[in-house]
Amino acid sequence: MPNIGLADLSNATLVLTIALYAIAMLAYACDFAFGKRPGAPAAASGRPERVESVALVGAASGAEFAGHAFPADPGDPSELADLSAENGHRGSDPAAAEGSPAAGAAGDQRDKPSSGSLPEPAAAVRQSPWPESTWVRAGFVLTCAGLVLHMVSVATRGLSEHRVPWGNMYEFIAAITCAAVLVLVLGAVRFRAYYLGLFVLLPVVLALAVDVVWIYTPAGQLVPALQSYWIAIHVTAMIIAIGMYIFGAVTTVLYLLSARHERRAAAGQEDVSAGIMGRLPGAATLDRLAYRAILFAFPAWTFAVIAGAIWADHAWGRYWGWDPKETWSFITWLVYAAFLHARATAGWRGRRAAYIQLFGFTCLMFNLVGVNLWITGLHSYAGIS
Amino acid sequence: MTQELTGRKDRGAADATPAATAERVDGSAVAADGAPESHQQRPRRFGVVAWLRWGWRQLTSMRTALVLLFLLALASIPGSVLPQQGIDPAAVSKYYAAHPSLAPLLAKLSGFDVFGAPWFAAIYLLLFISLAGCVLPRTYRLARSARQPPPRAPRHLGRLPQAAGFQAAGTAEQAVGTAAALLRRRRFRIRVGEGWVAAEKGYLHEVGNLLFHVALLGLLVSVALGGLFGYKADKLLVEGETFANTPVGLDVFRPGRLVTAGDLQPFSITLRKFTARYIASGVQRGQPSTFSGALRYNSRYGGPRRSYDLRVNHPLIVDGVQVFLIGHGYAPVFKVTDASGKVRFDQAVPFIPVEQSGLTSAGVVKVPDAQPRQLGFAGVFLPTQIDVGGRLASAFPAPEYPRVSLVSYAGNLGLDGGTPQSVYSLDTGRMRRLAVSPRPLAPGQSMTLPDGLGKLTFTGYRQWVSLAITYDPGQIPALVSALTALAGLILSFLVRRRRIFVRAAPAPAAGQVPGAAAIEIGGLTRSDAAGGFETEFAELASEIMQEVRGGAAAVGEPGGVTAPAGEKGE
Ligand code: HEM
Repeated sequence: MPNIGLADLSNATLVLTIALYAIAMLAYACDFAFGKRPGAPAAASGRPERVESVALVGAASGAEFAGHAFPADPGDPSELADLSAENGHRGSDPAAAEGSPAAGAAGDQRDKPSSGSLPEPAAAVRQSPWPESTWVRAGFVLTCAGLVLHMVSVATRGLSEHRVPWGNMYEFIAAITCAAVLVLVLGAVRFRAYYLGLFVLLPVVLALAVDVVWIYTPAGQLVPALQSYWIAIHVTAMIIAIGMYIFGAVTTVLYLLSARHERRAAAGQEDVSAGIMGRLPGAATLDRLAYRAILFAFPAWTFAVIAGAIWADHAWGRYWGWDPKETWSFITWLVYAAFLHARATAGWRGRRAAYIQLFGFTCLMFNLVGVNLWITGLHSYAGIS
Repeated sequence: MTQELTGRKDRGAADATPAATAERVDGSAVAADGAPESHQQRPRRFGVVAWLRWGWRQLTSMRTALVLLFLLALASIPGSVLPQQGIDPAAVSKYYAAHPSLAPLLAKLSGFDVFGAPWFAAIYLLLFISLAGCVLPRTYRLARSARQPPPRAPRHLGRLPQAAGFQAAGTAEQAVGTAAALLRRRRFRIRVGEGWVAAEKGYLHEVGNLLFHVALLGLLVSVALGGLFGYKADKLLVEGETFANTPVGLDVFRPGRLVTAGDLQPFSITLRKFTARYIASGVQRGQPSTFSGALRYNSRYGGPRRSYDLRVNHPLIVDGVQVFLIGHGYAPVFKVTDASGKVRFDQAVPFIPVEQSGLTSAGVVKVPDAQPRQLGFAGVFLPTQIDVGGRLASAFPAPEYPRVSLVSYAGNLGLDGGTPQSVYSLDTGRMRRLAVSPRPLAPGQSMTLPDGLGKLTFTGYRQWVSLAITYDPGQIPALVSALTALAGLILSFLVRRRRIFVRAAPAPAAGQVPGAAAIEIGGLTRSDAAGGFETEFAELASEIMQEVRGGAAAVGEPGGVTAPAGEKGE
């Protein structure tokens, strides 16, 4: 029997959470309306520093000294290739590259270090983690407060039912939005990209509103098919992965907009989005953030699918049966794998990879919503009809 | 900026050397692009070998892998939209009825068996050939590069993504020696040259990536193993009954391609009792809370019999075969006597639930031996019968007020026609409905048929379970492959492969201290998935500076050991 008092507390805190998130969005919007406009319409090359400054002060500028843009993506595979080109220049035979001492010395004489013009190494200097604008600070604090309430809501729901609180669609949406906001908060602090809050909270608030108004399901017991500790493992991994996928998708949309804005700015065109874009960390960083999110989400998703297969094996006697839910998890997995490949394929990085990622996210959402609504299978426990 | 975002090719030495050479020089470095030859030219003159080589390169290129991954995803979609024969045959029949002209066409295209379709197989086989063709050479290159020393330090470290520089007292050789010792302590692989050190670390990144891809191949093989040597079967078992695991004893038997009847594990199972509990009140009233089947089984004929409590998510495993509880229902027991007064039928008849909230179940009783007419009955079993405005219904799934209601027929059941009939449906084409009211019968009650045709007694009811029996020898290999893939994935995401270079040379005469050395440090990484190379580089660089300066100070020269915070590069 569910504990009604706790269940009611969960419902109330969830409504309060939505309110806090909404006010947080308002605060971000106020920054846009009344806040100081950050910098001039950003010159493309200046952008990445916003974030790089967190990383390391001295090191980042080395590349610029040599007249090369700082690589936005440290995972860029072409770098090692370039490097080996330099080796190969002296002889493609590895033995020759080793070189006779004389040849090596001669080479070294030619290539005296240009020290003095490079910055001295310094220990990492972290700037204050706080956002500068008061409005943004307010928005961020509200977001954190909302997140705490959100967690309380999910936890009390679970306590009221004596089980993990993700047994039906209502609980599932509450949980994945909670995961998404958690990823947002961590990402915002780590990358000093607080303004992302506005854009991540937008889908979160909409989803929670729909959840509370239309999908609400009273607290209750699980049907026997769901009574397994695998639900805790499988669905928890899924929720974590989806939270990161949501963050990745939002960041990717922003990346696409920001890249467009930067192209326009570079071409000297006026761009209405300059005010918003100036508050975001720049296309290169957004791209990297989205990539990071997927890098964490993908193994989590892989694990979730494996755990699901084990559970299916325990419950139905086959680990994979091409049930619609399974099929769409597989499709989602493939498309995100394609995205990771695209990131490592010449000519596919950037916008094309971003579109693949968004396609993967569409598959993910279809699996959550579309499959439940339109396709029936063994997984039809969503509790909505 | 556009250029930068989409395909940043304009880096460092790339302008000095044609990109093509870059990729050929050092296999280990190329690995990033799997098959770097994706922009290789088509052979100019016709030659079979040249074309084959070109085709193979195309197939094993990253771009092809990307396209095939995508194609496989797209090809799976019809499998979730169209009903699939292997999953829900009834839905396929329904689809045929609803789309009589489209369905045969779809069937021809394997639309109802997408995951067994030749075109689906073509895509994944191509993908896996591409995978093998990509992974094998990469493994070879990795093994080779692990045995070779790191490449030489490039001339201009300032061009690398991470770079720093400083001056220190002492000779260039001392500085290089100190830096090399430090990097070696940090478990870098070291190569020292005249005035430079090259260091590399993080081969596990590539190992993880290869492990992941090889494990995917393992997964494919495991699945194939299950498809060839495994089997699936279904059995509906009424309380008190026993079945043996033979093709005859099973209701549905779907063997793998290479399975014969003799391969079946010879166990038998008896269902002693089945218990279902339901939530009795509240909004979830009527929802099941537990199912449990008490089994007796032996793993071979005449072997010792054991007990097992079969539940959902809690299968019985005998001899590597898994037995699952996947459904349940009621089997009312009927006794039928015919006109001659002989008992012609006395057994439990499984009825199939037609709705879940009250478990109203439908079924038929066929009495082919009845004289002078064959008898047939069709109707429902209602666990908790209620009357809703003259219509019968069941209010609760547990048998609190169990009743059956049957319509009676006499005539020819049509069982001798040769066409197999379902035991759950009655062909009334050649039967006459008898004038007897289908009023609900309680256990023990009878209804007498008109014209002295006989009598039916509802003697009681039992429960049945439906069991799914599966044997899949590919299961454990599949699990191992999947977990290996996951481990490889995590490994490749967590470990970054990086190179650190240090160059030292006598400082220009204008330098601060006579006899000082100018030291440059450069670093780059190829695969910094989890991030953090900037920090690692900064820490390493500042440690190298401290050690080099400290070492020099120990020799006698005062050096500015504390590093001033470098000014931010704009
Ligand atoms: C079943 C098909 C495949 C799947 C599901 C798949 C999936 C993945 C995933 C998830 C990654 C990122 C994880 C990591 O770096 O370890 C990856 C990386 C990679 N894959 Fe595949 N892959 C497949 C086939 C192939 C094929 C056919 C090739 C060869 C052309 C290939 C070459 C690579 C390479 C070179 C990387 C490293 C990329 C990097 O450095 O970021 N893969 N693959």
